[in-house]
Amino acid sequence: MRMDPGWVRRAGVVCRRYASAPLLAVAGLGLSGCASPLPGAATVQGQRIAHLWAVFFLSAAGVAGAVYGLILWCIVRYRRRSDGLPPQYRDNIPVEIMYTAVPVGIVAFLFALTYGTEIHVDRVAPRPDVTINVTAFKWSWLFDYPGTGITVAGTPDYPPIAMVPVGRTVRIVLTSTDVVHAFYIPSFLYKRDATPGLVQRFDLEIRRPGEYLGECVEFCGFDHTRMRFWLRAVPPAQFDRWIEQGPRVVHQRVRYTAP
Amino acid sequence: MTAVVAPAAAEPRRPARRAGVLDWLVTTDHKHIGILYMATTLGFFLVAGAIALVMRAQLAQPGLHIVERQAYNQLFTLHGTAMIFLVIAPFALGLANYLLPLHIGAADLAFPRMNALTYWLLLAGGLTIFSGLLLSTGAAAAGWTMYAPLSDFENTPGPGVDLWIMGVLMISASSIMTAINFLTTVMLFRAPGMTMMRLPVFVWNIIVTSLIILMAFPPLAVAMAELFIDRRLGGHFFDASHGGSAILYQHVFWFFGHPEVYVMILPYFGVVTQVVSTFSRRPVFGYLGMVLASFAIAGLSMGVWAHHMFTTGAVNNPFFSIMSFLIAVPTGIKYFNWIGTMWQGALVFPTAMLFAIGFMLNFLLGGVTGVMVASPPLDYHVEDTYFLVTHFHYTLAGGSMFALLAALYFWFPKITGRLLSERLGMLSFWLTFVGYNITFIPLFLVGLLGMPRRVVTYLPLPGWPELNLTSTAGAGVLALGIALTMWNLVVSWSRGAPAGDDPWGGGTLEWATSSPPPERNFHALPPIRSDRPAFDMRMPQGTPGGQARARAG
Ligand code: HEM
Ligand SMILES: [Cu+2]
Ligand SMILES: [Cu+2]
Repeated sequence: MRMDPGWVRRAGVVCRRYASAPLLAVAGLGLSGCASPLPGAATVQGQRIAHLWAVFFLSAAGVAGAVYGLILWCIVRYRRRSDGLPPQYRDNIPVEIMYTAVPVGIVAFLFALTYGTEIHVDRVAPRPDVTINVTAFKWSWLFDYPGTGITVAGTPDYPPIAMVPVGRTVRIVLTSTDVVHAFYIPSFLYKRDATPGLVQRFDLEIRRPGEYLGECVEFCGFDHTRMRFWLRAVPPAQFDRWIEQGPRVVHQRVRYTAP
Repeated sequence: MTAVVAPAAAEPRRPARRAGVLDWLVTTDHKHIGILYMATTLGFFLVAGAIALVMRAQLAQPGLHIVERQAYNQLFTLHGTAMIFLVIAPFALGLANYLLPLHIGAADLAFPRMNALTYWLLLAGGLTIFSGLLLSTGAAAAGWTMYAPLSDFENTPGPGVDLWIMGVLMISASSIMTAINFLTTVMLFRAPGMTMMRLPVFVWNIIVTSLIILMAFPPLAVAMAELFIDRRLGGHFFDASHGGSAILYQHVFWFFGHPEVYVMILPYFGVVTQVVSTFSRRPVFGYLGMVLASFAIAGLSMGVWAHHMFTTGAVNNPFFSIMSFLIAVPTGIKYFNWIGTMWQGALVFPTAMLFAIGFMLNFLLGGVTGVMVASPPLDYHVEDTYFLVTHFHYTLAGGSMFALLAALYFWFPKITGRLLSERLGMLSFWLTFVGYNITFIPLFLVGLLGMPRRVVTYLPLPGWPELNLTSTAGAGVLALGIALTMWNLVVSWSRGAPAGDDPWGGGTLEWATSSPPPERNFHALPPIRSDRPAFDMRMPQGTPGGQARARAG
């Protein structure tokens, strides 16, 4: 067969000779790939999610490491050395029972942790300190502070910046006027869909002051990419002063220039 | 069961005469239809892959450099739609079209004319979806999930969505007919001696896949019909302002959508099982467990759909979470079966085996990240970010696509009578494997940092441009790897070295006939005493095809 240029042939030979070594390297890379830090969880709820993440990550690394180890062991140890026919057994019932039962145990453990975390993250306080009605629309957000007459409104070019207090329970009441959107703040490790005809409630307790980027993450059409917002978390006293400035509609004045 | 192609001549290695265009258009022969399926799906694969490259080029750096917003929205919709409905799933059905009768010792499928219809419906459906590109309003651009109400008339008036709906309806009709055909064939047309427990694992997985199709595709057709009624006939199924519900669409769609992912993986599990068994020179370890695991996956897969809806706040998250976790168990069983098959084997590494191993390594990352996204609190963070995109690419691209390539290298000799170049194959494998991981590992990271999916560009936040640029570079390497395999297919089709009947020492029946097989598949069948009759045939002194634990050699 003469259809490959020489370099292809030589590369093929090299590949065959070292067939398993790079597999090992790439598998290692794959593992370390997920070892990333999450964005620092800026809410109490997000902190719990981050803890759960750590457990899941270690379990996943353990399971994947064990399975990669077994596969690579087979590749290295059982490569063909002679023309003899290898043993032809087809089952080993105790081993099969074990590799069914152990994973059941692992997922039961992970589910227990999941359930405990979810209860906390989804819990809504009977009386939140601050309530904000958030309305998603194509393609921006409206933040309404009921009882104060304050509204923060945005457009794709001028994304809204909404004030929130640190250390208090902030209730978000979320809905959409047109299509499905989603309210996502990466630093809080949290999102919730904004669905037309459905009102969702959840609580956030922010731990430190800062400006947190929010994004729409449910595809909503033409300008989905630019459907961003910011939450400006400030100490409670500053938040109260902002509220006391009286009823008004706050528009973002700085045109957002990034893409 | 009348085949229209010319009758077999004396020379059994080739069909009597070269089939002309007309023969291909009117064929009802399962092998020809299988080839049509596979060639067509590879064509769509190249288109969808080229679209992926354009998307990656656009995302290489922040800003709008390559495509505009609405163009990007069409691109990811077409890429996802094509990969799912026109590539990964139908390639598997095409492969089964070719292999299933050979695997069970039959001459054809039960309903050859219906079989031809399924192919033409698939092609027509695909072209219908892509024809939206010719409209001034463009093709559908609401994502492959086509969520209502974004896809309703008010929000997307252009007829691109209508074409998409019609195309998907044709494809679902095609899949349902194929599933009926496969099930009937396996039930009625098995050769003497081919008991159910001697079926190759690939055939078992096709049985399970067909059952899933019968359960999942009718609901898809319902969702499409309702969407169309909403759009054009004044319905309000999904319109909250008239008592409808956007959540309802998601329920019906995912009631199809989740089982569909098993349609896209189970056949490829079967491919990997057979490739690994052949190149380890060992029988499939834990055959019964493997079959039961496939049924367990099918059963559980019908009860997990709402894990795609954890963030809606409108479903019972713990229930769908535990059901999803449980699917990890039968999937894990498959891994241990493959390891048990390789254990103490005599492994060789032709390209098909390399791609099968690549599948195992990649899919594992898709699996463990799948357990993460099945946990609602973690999903609250990663849902609809690039972490999710990467998770499912590890299962469908790193997984199914790698197994698809393994299948090409493994069965090309049977289909054409010629070998693919192993040197090109090796090179293609390494470029694909390394390129794939360079493309997608950075996307896990940028997803954890919060980059949303389906965005045409992104903010230059710390790390985002670097990770995206790395990913785009990796996609270039990956594309080179795929291109080498495509070139390999083209040149080897006419100029590859002759393969002989059984180049790999295979175990299943197709290796006991000529390459390519004669018109009715077999001139004579070997006795079938196990799931590896071709292997038993070569080992006449009764090496244990059955349950015995003898050691030989
Ligand atoms: C192998 C090379 C591939 C590359 C480089 C690639 C890349 C991409 C990119 C850039 C996106 C867009 C993500 C976004 O904007 O949110 C995407 C989406 C997607 N890809 Fe791939 N992809 C590849 C293969 C595959 C394969 C084999 C499948 C098989 C099913 C697949 C299925 C999908 C789906 C379903 C989507 C989602 C589309 C949507 O959001 O509606 N991809 N891919
Ligand atoms: Cu959006
Ligand atoms: Cu799913």
